[in-house]
Amino acid sequence: MLDQTINAIELSDITLTYDDRIILDQVSFAVRPGETKILMGGSGTGKSTVLKLVLGLIKPDAGRIRIDGEDITDFSERELAVVRRKIGMVFQEGALFDSLSVYQNVGYRLFEQGMDEDQIREEVRQKLQFVNLEHAIDMMPAELSGGMRRRVGIARALVGNPRLILYDEPTAGLDPPTARTICELAMELRDLQSVSSIFVTHRMGDARLMSSAYFTLNDYGEPIYKREDDTLCLINTQFIMLKDGRVIFSGTDETLWDIDDPYIQNFLREV
Amino acid sequence: MNPLTRALLEVQEAALMTGRAFRGTFSRPYYFREVIVQMDLIGYGSMAIIILTGAFTGAVLALQSSSALMTFGAQSKTGQLVMTSLVRELGPVLASLMLAGRVGSGIAAEIGSMVVSEQVDAMRALGTDPLRKLVFPRIVTLLLMCPILTLVADMIGSFGGWVVATSLMHVASSVYISSAKVALTYNDIIGGMIKPAVFGFIIAVVGCRAGLRTYGGTVGVGRSTTQAVVMSDILILASDFFLSKIILAFS
Repeated sequence: MLDQTINAIELSDITLTYDDRIILDQVSFAVRPGETKILMGGSGTGKSTVLKLVLGLIKPDAGRIRIDGEDITDFSERELAVVRRKIGMVFQEGALFDSLSVYQNVGYRLFEQGMDEDQIREEVRQKLQFVNLEHAIDMMPAELSGGMRRRVGIARALVGNPRLILYDEPTAGLDPPTARTICELAMELRDLQSVSSIFVTHRMGDARLMSSAYFTLNDYGEPIYKREDDTLCLINTQFIMLKDGRVIFSGTDETLWDIDDPYIQNFLREV
Repeated sequence: MNPLTRALLEVQEAALMTGRAFRGTFSRPYYFREVIVQMDLIGYGSMAIIILTGAFTGAVLALQSSSALMTFGAQSKTGQLVMTSLVRELGPVLASLMLAGRVGSGIAAEIGSMVVSEQVDAMRALGTDPLRKLVFPRIVTLLLMCPILTLVADMIGSFGGWVVATSLMHVASSVYISSAKVALTYNDIIGGMIKPAVFGFIIAVVGCRAGLRTYGGTVGVGRSTTQAVVMSDILILASDFFLSKIILAFS
């Protein structure tokens, strides 16, 4: 059961510099349980860096990071390994291990934990079924298309049923139908499994879809896709806009359209 | 940052990397399977190149030394010269240089590619310490396999020297073998095994470190690979001098 009173992720005044260059400057935001924060901004504004900070792959120069209320800022690598079990990460190009098959990639975490092979196969099969790639279980990453690699990446992130998933531009470089499939998978996790997430993208079309459509279950328990209308307004998806390492906007899509900032307007023009 | 500070920082990073990789030997998960896989890839995989290196080194040593010794009427000492040169210096150094070219570059390229394609980050995100999974098995493998491969190079080299000495330089087989036997002392053999262990350690640490600090896409992978080979070669040749000095002092 989710504790709704504790933020899934909380970043407070995060500052990060590299070689005297400011990457992130006093960045603060929180992701509530079951919420998706869409993190937007141009290339090099620090979007992927935020995800790496949440995972503890890099440490901030200043500020605090909390996951499920636990301050992980000063955690050792060993302590972070425990925290990372609660988090799934979908990397930009999938970041699949080239020398391992799809089965070994998806089940990687379980193999490392020394789980029984039959249990691993069942878990992997379930996750691949969710991303509609059950038939690719014995393929090697080199045999997969770009979209398939991302979906395998999502399946790998879902192993262990993490309550928190970080997406690092999962739709970058994909054709629109495949990008839409990826977004719908993220929406299904958000709406039907209450997974909290940060979704990094610079494609306004994806962001628009995720903030205006949702999944629900029909009478037969099957997931169905619906669009936001006059009777329902999605509140579990919010936007954060980064510019030069600073948060310049934080709020819902409705308020985003009304912002007069030329930088933000440049993004909105895409839709 | 000036070059000296950068070099010291690099030594510090390499030492920390090695320390953290070896700390993994005392707690779970263990990566013995990775060690076996690397031994097969690095050890068995390098056998052909080592055999060829050893054979031609021994052959050319016999050819050159026999001609030179003939001038002094000491051609019977060919076996002694070939064995001493091979076991003390040329075997360890040439085998290690070949391994730096084949294995060190491979390690840097493989880990570097994993870094730029975010596979190392993915590994960490999935709860695995890349130093234990990637670095530790490679260091252990080269520590063990480099002396073994050097031993193979020495044996093949002495055989190559025997073939050339007996067939081309007309040295009697028994003369070559007895002079080769007399030449070697235990100190030579021990020193000839310590050196490649140190060189193997250098190749692994330099290769892994070059791979892990890769940045800048495929160009970065190429740069790391070159750096790994150049740095390993320089360190092998420089440390060979100091190791020879230490081993000679002890003998």
